[in-house]
Amino acid sequence: MTGMFASIAWRNLWRNPRRTLITLVVVAVGVWSILTFDVMLKAFGTSSRETSLRLLTGEAQIHAPGYLEDPSVARRMPTPGGSLLGALDSPLVDAWAPRVRVPAIVQSEYRTRSITLLGVSPARERTVSDMPAQVVAGRYLSSDTDPGIVIGQHLAEKLKTRIGKRLIILVQSSDGRLAETSFTIVGLFGGTQGAQDEYAFTSLRAAQGILGVGNDVSEISLFGADDANLDGVVSALKSAAPALDIQPWTTLSPMAYTIETFSQTYVGIWLMIMFVLMAIGIVNTQLMAVFERTREFGLLQALGMRPGLIVLQVTLESAMLIGIGILVGIVLMLLTVVPLLGGLDTGFLAQGMELIGMGQILYPRIDPAAAAGSCLVVWVLGIGAALWPARAAANVDPVVAMAEL
Amino acid sequence: MSSIIQCRGVEKIYRQGDVEVPALRGIDLDIQAGDFATLSGPSGSGKTTLLSLIGGLDRPTGGEISIDGEPISGMPKARLADLRLHKIGFVFQTYSLIPVLSALENVEFILRLLKVPPAERGPRAREVLRQVGLEGLEDRRPSRLSGGQQQRVAVARALASRPAIVLADEPTANLDSQNAEELIALMAELNATSGITFLIATHDSRVIAHTRRHIEMTDGRITADERRGADIAA
Repeated sequence: MTGMFASIAWRNLWRNPRRTLITLVVVAVGVWSILTFDVMLKAFGTSSRETSLRLLTGEAQIHAPGYLEDPSVARRMPTPGGSLLGALDSPLVDAWAPRVRVPAIVQSEYRTRSITLLGVSPARERTVSDMPAQVVAGRYLSSDTDPGIVIGQHLAEKLKTRIGKRLIILVQSSDGRLAETSFTIVGLFGGTQGAQDEYAFTSLRAAQGILGVGNDVSEISLFGADDANLDGVVSALKSAAPALDIQPWTTLSPMAYTIETFSQTYVGIWLMIMFVLMAIGIVNTQLMAVFERTREFGLLQALGMRPGLIVLQVTLESAMLIGIGILVGIVLMLLTVVPLLGGLDTGFLAQGMELIGMGQILYPRIDPAAAAGSCLVVWVLGIGAALWPARAAANVDPVVAMAEL
Repeated sequence: MSSIIQCRGVEKIYRQGDVEVPALRGIDLDIQAGDFATLSGPSGSGKTTLLSLIGGLDRPTGGEISIDGEPISGMPKARLADLRLHKIGFVFQTYSLIPVLSALENVEFILRLLKVPPAERGPRAREVLRQVGLEGLEDRRPSRLSGGQQQRVAVARALASRPAIVLADEPTANLDSQNAEELIALMAELNATSGITFLIATHDSRVIAHTRRHIEMTDGRITADERRGADIAA
């Protein structure tokens, strides 16, 4: 019998093509906006996370206790060894890099700026950070003992200096005195303006030498082997080095975490807003359809059709209508998003994007499970809303309807 | 002969605000199985109201109606729907077909509700359409049928479920003379050949002239109940 109802429902939909098309457009645009919004917000969230993590953060960092509140040279730790080194070199960890990281003053012959000086191990640094790949002039550091310095292109402009010129770096050494050393600029890096102005990179040994910290380091940045098991990695490291402060990126980079987490909330809110608008459209048009067919529903009752079957009949029409709208919405979303899968250049928003820690190129990714979930929610709730007109149809008084005949 | 429709003291009062408008005032009526009867009377006499109550589309304010010995006044809506589906066929004044279905599908619709197997459904629907003279027009939708043809489809649909009773409310009101005559002859023939009970509310003297029993109503009361000996249509 469902086949007969489906056939009647389909034909009824096209009795008033204009109204059906209007409802289809409402549902399709609503679904399109929900799915596209979801994809784009996730792209923003992922970009924010990737940009932040691949800048310097990593998926987790290890510091001496108190370093995050007071990143001074005094808050340092020995180069990893023993059980910590074992954990870092275990299959749980994909890559790790030690750093010396302290506040410093950089001085050219013209200007002085405050910066963060990072002493890095170039080979390891390449495995946890994109900074080495962002050199736009000159070269990156070549070894743990490279005597050169790499600064941001924008900082170089501010300092009115260039590759080959020397800079003075002033830091507070481990014994509390101010130590200054001159470095030759060997490379300039690009990327976000904030990073260009903030960071200067020397080799690990050079930084350890200025600060007089021996082989100690300030920070270890790392990536776990399994994104989904970051908590497990952090736990393992904490077991290996209980005295150290080990934090995941969600704590270290709250902005990126917030953007990623809240994208789901935004999508949920947007879904509800769009659903309410769609529900108004669906209920309105279906109620109009029911009122126009009052005689017919009276007739169906007179013929012996049970009220429940009338509800089923009208609900089937709504289910088909919403289902088609959803399919059209999915096609529209694919037409919108697929051309952007290779990357969406947000150059025109570059400054704003940088402020919230995102890269200039976004890479939208379609999550079929999430899209199917959203569509299912719209379909089920839409059918729920359509029960109102369906019940109105079943409650038509056949005597009144007959009087209209 | 047993009463297939039995009305005892049936009253129906409509309320318009605080005003009570009595439509039926204590109807006592027995319609025997196989009867071919008309209800007539001026507008507002209660013909359509009585048909609605007998068909279970509305409930009486007082009294009791029984169909085939079963009281229906207190019956739940769903059971009333089943009663109509299995025992009662309706033919209305206007051509009340489902517009998105063809003539054949309109007839099959009832058979599907009755869960008649597909193999039996098609032939049975075609047969009743043939009986009402619509052979060759099975695939036409109502919008492509004349008024007379649509009313014949409605009769075919009413007959397809092999009901015990057909209730017809002014079935010829919107038909021209020729179509009206043909429809009356068709109903009389079906009554004679199938034994289906017909109760027809009508003003049409041509319909009244064909029936064996004529019931007159005025102001919600039966004022005359005339029985004739012979089946005129036969």
